[in-house]
Amino acid sequence: MIIFAFAFGSPSSLGTGTTPHKIAVINLDRGATASINNTDLHINAGANFTALLENVTYEGTNTHMFTLTNASADQAQTLLKSRGLDAAITIPENFSQAVVSLSNASARTEATSDIGLQVINASSAQAAALSAQLPTNATLPRPSNVTAQVTVEGDTGSAAFGAAQGLIFNVLQQYESQIQATASRQVDATLGQNQSQLNGNYISAAVEPLTGARSFTYFDYQAPGLIVFALLLQVSSVAQDLARETDSGTLTRLKLSNMRSFDLLFGTLLTWIIIAVVQILLLFGVAVALGFQWSGGANSIELAVFIGIIGGIASISLGLLLAAFARNERQAAQLGVLIAVPVSFLTGAFFPLPSEPLGTAFGTTFQVYDLLPWTQVADAIRQVLVFGSSFSDVAIYVGFAIVLTAILFIVGVISYSRVRLRAE
Amino acid sequence: MTEQLSDHTTDAYALQVQGLTKRYGDLVAVDDLSLQIKKEEIFGFLGPNGAGKTTAINMMVGLLSPTGGAVLINGQDRARVPKRSVGVCPQELVLWEELTCVENLTLIGDMYDLPRVVTNERVRSLLADLALSEKAKARVSQLSGGMKRRLNVALAVVHDPDIVVLDEPSSGLDPQSRLLLWDFIRSLKGKGKTTILTTHAMEEADALSDRVAIIDHGKLLQLDTPQNLKRTIGSGDIIEIQLAEPERNETVIAGLKSVKGIQEIKDVGGKINVRALNAVSLLPEILERVDAMHARVSDIAIRENTLEDVFIYLTGRGLRE
Repeated sequence: MIIFAFAFGSPSSLGTGTTPHKIAVINLDRGATASINNTDLHINAGANFTALLENVTYEGTNTHMFTLTNASADQAQTLLKSRGLDAAITIPENFSQAVVSLSNASARTEATSDIGLQVINASSAQAAALSAQLPTNATLPRPSNVTAQVTVEGDTGSAAFGAAQGLIFNVLQQYESQIQATASRQVDATLGQNQSQLNGNYISAAVEPLTGARSFTYFDYQAPGLIVFALLLQVSSVAQDLARETDSGTLTRLKLSNMRSFDLLFGTLLTWIIIAVVQILLLFGVAVALGFQWSGGANSIELAVFIGIIGGIASISLGLLLAAFARNERQAAQLGVLIAVPVSFLTGAFFPLPSEPLGTAFGTTFQVYDLLPWTQVADAIRQVLVFGSSFSDVAIYVGFAIVLTAILFIVGVISYSRVRLRAE
Repeated sequence: MTEQLSDHTTDAYALQVQGLTKRYGDLVAVDDLSLQIKKEEIFGFLGPNGAGKTTAINMMVGLLSPTGGAVLINGQDRARVPKRSVGVCPQELVLWEELTCVENLTLIGDMYDLPRVVTNERVRSLLADLALSEKAKARVSQLSGGMKRRLNVALAVVHDPDIVVLDEPSSGLDPQSRLLLWDFIRSLKGKGKTTILTTHAMEEADALSDRVAIIDHGKLLQLDTPQNLKRTIGSGDIIEIQLAEPERNETVIAGLKSVKGIQEIKDVGGKINVRALNAVSLLPEILERVDAMHARVSDIAIRENTLEDVFIYLTGRGLRE
């Protein structure tokens, strides 16, 4: 139940409601210098906006709208593809300049509006007196034509992205309004109250669909997960198959022969790898028939099969481990299902998983469930088939999957050999 | 009882067991078992259920690690002897149901690293010897119980082992199949094989075995030829008396115990078994006593002492489950 709650009940898997959205901010802003009352002031609007995103809360609650993840552009892409992030915001390098420009334009508009209004309403004597009130060195700020576009990248087929993107746009709009209001207030302090309307768009926002996922649907996310789920079900089949050899006594007959442990285990491995390959291709074919769109052509399929084989070997290894300790064929089958199904949820085969960080290595934050080889396999297959990633793109996943599978295989082989293949 | 190993005749023995012991906690399944099995003999290994036969056999063939003792095959430590020296036919049918007879046999040949040509020839010969040639390409799942039993035996010898262990090989066979199997087992002796036969069928052990070992509670009780066992253990003939009222058996047994010349009298399966050297001459007096006790005899027979009588004499009548 805990596992199911973990998988189904995680807030981020729903992507809606008053829950924090996982976002990354790639701040490329170089800052800008603003001249206020003839004093140069360096401002970093990108950092300000980032801080705003970090601190903004849902109305009437203490719940933050966003959880910010430190990530480079590449890391953000990877996280978006694995749905480790709901959205990634890129603040352009001229963001501060655009903010200064917006501020200046607001001040200018407000000032000209204030003065113009007073001139229209006053007599010539009052106008002369008004001019005398203005500071002798006062100059109206000159806005430049700098505009900046903040991009919000994510999987447009994801409900979580939709919700996050809406909130980000809203916050950006509020940020703009705040800048305008501040500039206007400063002018009004000198020239009196007036409501001016700024024309011109200095800061804009745009949605950037995730690369390789122009028509990314939820099924596209799930299809690679289904392949991993099928591979995980091999755990039950392998355990049952090996336990049957024990139950029927054929294993005893083989133990009496010249057969070495390697012969049996390699034979088992080879058979189930072939089954895994057939399974992957079959499921892939069915998924495509149901509308799954994959990227990368034949190379992607070959790479996905290779990665799937690693997942298959991991399943075979777990099957060996279960067959070593299961009392009979039935128990082996039941144990296999009992373990494979919850593990499939923990690997993120069907749903994005909540953040449960374990630590950071190689510049990547590892989650608790990353210790399962199938998690790595699921992420890698998803990236290859959905986003057309190359081997080098998924090398880190494949590397970890191989290491974790090797550990599981060694444990499985040692357990099975000691318990089942030696003299009792 | 312990059979002493004789060093100077090691070459004559296919298998030697000395002080073989297996303990499971406080339970001693095999207790200091020592025996020697000669080359080319058919060795009957008898004992009631739970006597320790299978445990002892499993230690002899290397499926079970002994708690103590040693097993020598052809004078060498068992662990150093090539596995192909021994062939085992388990009591249960151990077959790959979805494979054909030929495929089952070939698989085992491959597992013993036999050249395929040799395997093919062995398979052909075995199928002929065990009357399975017509079913060579039939799946095991399509075979009758008797055919499966014969294939089970064939799998034990496909690699041409020196020692063949047959555990209840004729269990559940019809008389024709049993006789065919007996001929096959005898033919193994003719080919220089040593056969260890565990069986509950005393008739089978009597008919096939050169020597018989009877074990119980993990200990060796007797080891000799069937003829010697029948002669020395419970010698004489058996008078079997069936009373019209079997519930009076105990009373009649008590009344007959004082008849001079009776070596043993007991209830066996509802019949009173009287063992005596001169059974025929004692018969009138026995019948007279039974009549005096107002018991009615519904049937009476005199027969020779059998291996089963010896077995029951040594291991008792108590059920072993």
